Amino acid sequence: MILEQLAGNLLQGVVLGTVYGMATMGLSLIFGVLKVVNVGHGAFIMVGAFTSFAVFEYLGLSPVFAIPVAFGIGMALGMIFYYSSIRRLLKGPELASLLATFSFGVILEEGIKFLFTSDFRGFNWDLGKIDMGFTVLPYAKVAACLGSVAIAVLLYLWFNKTRAGMAMRSVVEDGVGARVCGVNVDWMYALSFSLGIGLTVASGVLLTMFVSVGIHPYMGGEYTLKAFVVAVLGGLASPYGAFFGGLVFGLLENGSYTLFAQIPGLEPFAMTRFFSFLILLLILLLRPTGLLKAK
Amino acid sequence: MKKTTFFALTLSAAFFCVATAFAADLPQKIVIGNPEALSGTHAKAGEQAIGGVKAIIKWVNTVNGGVKVGGKKLPLEYKYYDCESKKEAVTSLLERLITSDKVHFILAPYSSPLTLAGAPVAEKYGILYMDHGGASDKIFTQGFRYAVQTIGPGSRYHVGTLDMLKKKDPAAKRLALAYKDDEFARSVMDGAEAHAKKLGYEIIFKRTYPATVNDLTPLLSDLKASKPDIVIGGGHLADGQLFTQQMADLGINPKALSLVAAVTIPAFQTALKGKADGVMGPSHWEYGVTFSKEKARKAGQVWIGPSQDEFVKLFKDAIGRDLRPEYHAAEAGAAVLSLVLAVEKAASLDSDKVRAAMGDLKFTSFYGGWAIDKTGKQVGHDMIDAQWQNGKLVIVGPEAASTGALLYPKPTVK
Repeated sequence: MILEQLAGNLLQGVVLGTVYGMATMGLSLIFGVLKVVNVGHGAFIMVGAFTSFAVFEYLGLSPVFAIPVAFGIGMALGMIFYYSSIRRLLKGPELASLLATFSFGVILEEGIKFLFTSDFRGFNWDLGKIDMGFTVLPYAKVAACLGSVAIAVLLYLWFNKTRAGMAMRSVVEDGVGARVCGVNVDWMYALSFSLGIGLTVASGVLLTMFVSVGIHPYMGGEYTLKAFVVAVLGGLASPYGAFFGGLVFGLLENGSYTLFAQIPGLEPFAMTRFFSFLILLLILLLRPTGLLKAK
Repeated sequence: MKKTTFFALTLSAAFFCVATAFAADLPQKIVIGNPEALSGTHAKAGEQAIGGVKAIIKWVNTVNGGVKVGGKKLPLEYKYYDCESKKEAVTSLLERLITSDKVHFILAPYSSPLTLAGAPVAEKYGILYMDHGGASDKIFTQGFRYAVQTIGPGSRYHVGTLDMLKKKDPAAKRLALAYKDDEFARSVMDGAEAHAKKLGYEIIFKRTYPATVNDLTPLLSDLKASKPDIVIGGGHLADGQLFTQQMADLGINPKALSLVAAVTIPAFQTALKGKADGVMGPSHWEYGVTFSKEKARKAGQVWIGPSQDEFVKLFKDAIGRDLRPEYHAAEAGAAVLSLVLAVEKAASLDSDKVRAAMGDLKFTSFYGGWAIDKTGKQVGHDMIDAQWQNGKLVIVGPEAASTGALLYPKPTVK
C-alpha cells in the first residue's frame, strides 16, 4: 500500500514538476540574460491563467488554444515593460529593477482585478482520466505535462538551431564580445525579456490545465516563491536547469509526503516544505550554482 | 406663582439644561471604522462585507431615521480602508482609524487571522471591536473585553451537519478530516472532531494542508486510501475549489463531502459545474432562509432591519452591481444592526457602556438570531447547511430553515 502510494505520488510529482519547471524557465531566462530578478513573476503566471479562463469561458475553446494567445500577450507585455522601464534601469542599482518588476506585478494584479473583479474563477475542462491502479491521472494533467515538455524542447531548439537563439546565448556568455561580433545586444535584451515573460504567461495556461480552479488576481504569490526555489535548485541563470529543478522539486514535494505520512504525530504536508527547503539549502551549500550550470 | 408651579418649572428647566448639555456632547454622526480586505486573498469576502455594511447603514439612516441616542437620531457613517488581507496593515489602519479619524466603533476585517491581529489594538484603545468574519474560537479565549462576534464560532460549524448525517445514515462511521492549516479552519476541525466523537464516528484520517496550497494530490491520495464514508474539511474558497476538483480527479467518492467557507459561494459551483453536485457546506446565511418580522413577532423576539429581499436590493444598490449578497455580506450587515440596538439601549456612544448593553442583547434580523456569551462569542445564531443539487444551492438543514431534502449519498463523480 505504501509503495503504491509512493509510486502514485512520484508519478504525480513528475507531472507537477514539469509544469513547475515550465513556470520557472522565463524567470531563469530573464535573470540569465539581463541579470534582472523578476519578483512580479507570479503575476505574469496569473495573467496566463486568466487568458486560459477567458479563452475557455468566452470563446468556448480548449485551453490548448490559449497557449499561443498567452505567449503572444506575454511577449507584448514584455516588450512594453522592457522599453518603458527595464531598459532604463539595466545600468542602475539592482534594487531599481527589482522594484520595477514588483510594480509590474501590482499593476497586473490590480488591472486584472479591474477587468475580472476579485472573484475566484475556474472552468471545467474534463477530458477523462487514466486509472493506473496505484493512482488516477486526468488527461488534462497529462496534456499540461506534455505541453510543458514540448515548450521546453522548442526553446532548446530555438536556442541551439536559430541565429537569434545563438545570438542570445552569445550575449549571456560575453555581452561585449557579442556586440563586437555585430550582435544587437539591446535588441537581444528586449527579446530575452519578452521571451521570458511570454514563457511565464504561457505557463499560467499550463497551470490551469493542471488545476483549472482558484484563478484570481492574487494567485501569483505562491508561484513566485516556488519559482525562486525551483530556479535556484536548477541554477538561477539556466532555463533548462529551471526545468530540471522543477522536476526535482515536484518529486521532492510529492515523494516526501508519503514518507512523512508514515511517522505518527507529523503533519506530512508541512514537513514536505521543510524537506524541500532543507534540500535546497544543501544544494546551495554543496553546489551554489544549482544542479545545472547556466547555458 | 404657586410653589408647585415654580417647582415644576424649575425641574423642567433643569431637565432641559441637562438634556441639552448631553445632546451638545453628542457628535453629529456615529462613525464606524473598518480595515477591510479589498485586495489580496480575502478581497472577495471583503467586497461582500463592505456591501453588506453599506446596505444596512443605508437602511438605518433612511428607514430607521438613524440611531436614537439622548433624544436625538444620529446618522451612521462608514469609514473603511483596504488592509490588503495583511495583518500588519490591519494594525496600522486601526491606529489610524482610532487616533486620526476618531471613529466611534470598529468593524474587524474578514477572516480569523486578521480579526485576531487587530483585537489587541482595539483593546489598547478600549474601543468596541465588532467581529463579523472571524469565526475562530481562539479570538474569545484571549480575554479581550471589546471583541464581539456576529459570525458563528468555528467550533459549531459542523455540529448541525454531523447531526443531520448521523440521523440520515447511522451506519456510516468512517470520518475523514482534512483542513487548511490556519486559525479558522483549525477551530472548525477541533469542533467537528469533538462533536463527531460524541456521535460515535471513528476519525480515520486527520490532516491539515498549508494555507497557500496549489496541489492537494498527495494528501487526497492518502485520504482515498483511508476509505472514508464522510469527508469534512476545507478552509476558504480557493482551496475548497481545489479540494473538490482534485477529489473528482482522483475518483474519491465518499457518501458525503462538507467543506467550510467555500461551497455556498456561487463561484464554487460556477467553476466546478457538475463536480460541485452533492457537495455541501455550513453557512451563516443564504438567500432563501425564512426569517421574517412576522415570525419574530409571533415568537416574541426583537426584530430589527430590512427583510431578506430588501437587504438584497440595498446590497445591490450599495455595490453598484447585480451581485447577490453572500453570507459575508449578511453577517457584516447584522453586526451593524447589533451595534444600533446596543447603542440605543445604552443611550451612549461609550464603548464600555455599549459593550455592557450587548451582553444581554437578543434579537432577530434577516440574518437570523443574535446573542453573545460573557466572552463576546456568538451563541444565538444557528448555522444552516446548504448543498448543490443540479446546479442549485438547496438549504438542507436545519429542518426549520430547509428548502429541500439532503441528497445522500452524494452523486458519484466519474
